[in-house]
Amino acid sequence: MRAKREDLFPLIEPLLSKVERPSRYLDHEWGACEEQDGPFHVCLVYADVYEVGQPNLGLAILYKCINAVEGMSCERAYLPWTDMISLMRERGVPLLSLECAAPLASFDVVGFTLAHELVATNVLETLDLAGIPLTSAERAEDDPLVVAGGPSVWNCEPLAPVFDAVLLGDGEEGLVDICAAIRDCRDVGMPRQEILLRLAQVPGVYVPSLYDVVVDETTTRWGKAVPREGTGAPAVVRKRCMGDFAGTDPLAQDIVPYLGIVQDRLAVEVLRGCARGCRFCQAGMTYRPVRERPAEQVVTAAEEGLARTGYDEVSLTSLSTTDHSQCAQILHELNAATAGKGVRVSIPSQRLDSFGVEMAGEVAGAKRSGLTFAPEAGTQRLRDVINKNVSEQDLETAATNAFEHGWRRMKLYYMMGLPTETDEDVVAIPASAERVMQLGRRIVGPHKGVAVSISVAVFVPKAHTPFQWCGQLWPEEVERRQRILVGSNHDRAIRVTYHDAGTSLVEGAVSKLGRRGFDLVYRAWELGCLFDAWTSEFRLDLWRQAAADVGLDLADVACEQFELDAVLPWDHTSPGVSKGFLQREWRRAMQGVTTPDCTRDSCQGCGVCPSLGVDNVVWGERS
Amino acid sequence: MMDSLHRLRVEYGKDDRLAYLGHLEVIGTVQRSVRRAGLPFSIGNGFARRMRIQFSQALPVGASSACEYYDVYLEDRIDPDEALELLAAATPPGLAPVRAAYVDPHQDALEAWLTRATWDCVLVGQGLAPVAWTRATAAVRAKGSLRYLRGDKEKTVQLASTLVSADFSPSEEGLRLALETRNTPEGSLRPGVLVEAARELLGAEAGIMDTLRVRRVWQSHEETDGSLVEPL
Repeated sequence: MRAKREDLFPLIEPLLSKVERPSRYLDHEWGACEEQDGPFHVCLVYADVYEVGQPNLGLAILYKCINAVEGMSCERAYLPWTDMISLMRERGVPLLSLECAAPLASFDVVGFTLAHELVATNVLETLDLAGIPLTSAERAEDDPLVVAGGPSVWNCEPLAPVFDAVLLGDGEEGLVDICAAIRDCRDVGMPRQEILLRLAQVPGVYVPSLYDVVVDETTTRWGKAVPREGTGAPAVVRKRCMGDFAGTDPLAQDIVPYLGIVQDRLAVEVLRGCARGCRFCQAGMTYRPVRERPAEQVVTAAEEGLARTGYDEVSLTSLSTTDHSQCAQILHELNAATAGKGVRVSIPSQRLDSFGVEMAGEVAGAKRSGLTFAPEAGTQRLRDVINKNVSEQDLETAATNAFEHGWRRMKLYYMMGLPTETDEDVVAIPASAERVMQLGRRIVGPHKGVAVSISVAVFVPKAHTPFQWCGQLWPEEVERRQRILVGSNHDRAIRVTYHDAGTSLVEGAVSKLGRRGFDLVYRAWELGCLFDAWTSEFRLDLWRQAAADVGLDLADVACEQFELDAVLPWDHTSPGVSKGFLQREWRRAMQGVTTPDCTRDSCQGCGVCPSLGVDNVVWGERS
Repeated sequence: MMDSLHRLRVEYGKDDRLAYLGHLEVIGTVQRSVRRAGLPFSIGNGFARRMRIQFSQALPVGASSACEYYDVYLEDRIDPDEALELLAAATPPGLAPVRAAYVDPHQDALEAWLTRATWDCVLVGQGLAPVAWTRATAAVRAKGSLRYLRGDKEKTVQLASTLVSADFSPSEEGLRLALETRNTPEGSLRPGVLVEAARELLGAEAGIMDTLRVRRVWQSHEETDGSLVEPL
């Protein structure tokens, strides 16, 4: 039954002095939308603590889009930290929204963003704390509709029973359409089951309860989702895509938090999509096509945003900002506009092959603390397999430019366990970092604080990528290669860090499983797994036990290789990239053949533009 | 360089739920408010190129205040009333500025200059007897110094120099404590620390204290002759 909509902050206030970082629970931030008259109420949830969820640009965009609709109000909620959860449970306080401190169970729609696979148990905890039944099937007629979207929906099957509907792709219009459909249906008193049927007709919306899982000789052991007869649900749900990206509001962030959040700065999304074609990269495949904002729009938005929020840093965000055809112009104009105001203009990470002299001179203004590059693999052979399309020379040129322009610290990201990887590829990682270190010492000087660090993640195959058929590296082999990595680093000044094999194993298993994955996630949550993305909270022993309890083995699931022609658990959802293209890319990877970027070369036939009726939008010339 | 700058002192409150902001969170919020207000603030020459701004001493998380201060250095002298208006329009209501005036740019750093504070504390609970608490506080004071834990760190505060006076009186919610403290270079006394020490000493005689509400109501500078100077 729908909870009463009321301000329950007085129930939270007495708990504030008893928990860490009470400012997580305060609301009233500058720019928060305090007028929440509705009458249609939506609450967007990031199922992690405030400081992790608040910087999420996707939620900021959707918060603004919904609040702009007459008659709709949108609030935020985050999962409280464990100390607050315990107190709330002890005192029977349900999870509340921030703006009005209203129970989540009182909203018309509760929307989750799925940022990564390890958020799964937090989603269950959020719903349980809110007093909302965990699965769509258990919800009563009047309960909120629980929907999801975000970058990790591309295999949402392990959480499919939780959601009434899942939005694929861009949410600016898609989520508003979902909310409008629910509002209209509720207005005429339509039963919940019929609302779900109606939602399945909204483009880009997947309604899991209308699909059965069928296992047959064409599928993997996890089966495929097939629409139930008579529901009218599409066999394949294609993503929503904002073709006119420049027509969307470039300034999504209005809320200025009180506490230090993980990305405590203004963010302007300068482009969406990436056509570089890295074969491991899910975002690169699922956010296509490339859509740039024009330079003047970015500069104006950044200036306006800085004045409106009071931030002293603006980050030009995207999957690959230095690929923007007007990146140097944007940086130059923004640096000129903010000169003398103590403002830093930053870029999340730089591509090695586009970090030229001009870029080195413009990024970060006077404050040059550290730079991040992602060569991803140690050898050219393996970089060709993954289609990274950068060379050792690119790394040396970028490092030289950086050191010559005042940088002292450099971080290099790599992956371990990529298809066809050998010990030689692993040994080449520290060797590559050593060459960068030597360059730094030569250019800057031997005792001038040059620091190089390498961070090595475990490759996790993801849905809708050319590597979606791969098995993950067995955990014992990951650990062996990690020992090789550390052992082959001969320069003690180079800091080597690597991802925990256990966390990657769980991520890999949840990425691979079909709907049966829900049993695993549910059992793990029952056993106490929570905040799995936090090293301090992650419990591999409980995940292993959960897997055993439901008749699974994490490694057996994560490391399984699928047949190239098998129907996959996520084939009923489509980002527009054709399966044929992904198969071709897989074959080319095995041959070590690279595929060019279609914003710099001719069309490579991924299928996105014709299937979605969109095009790449590039305002200048990409070099 | 500093001689050409104008030191604007702003008095502001810390109220309602924003009492739960930590000191760094207040600093960040005020700096962003100053930027939003469009004041011609000065930027330091350090690596980080930060705003030239100083704050009064940190309040404990959860404590409210009627008298917090910051000094922001401006490159152009603008009318303080106009500055106040701009700041008020750019600051969350819980930290609203109430007064502003220019002060001597050569005065000591604000945190060091503000040496005296008055606190209004309410011990919310039952069976809290003023006589017992007055006796316990006197006994704590007689020890000369007080050791306490702040997080994992052990701290010591000298009560002879930092505790000026502590007067308990009955209140509707339990017990009211009017506390006068002095900040010294060696440290300062937080109301919660004193109250906790007294409670420990009293044991069962303390009564039941559910909550301690703390509000800083006045800050000033103490001259060597003991006279008090208002910040504005």
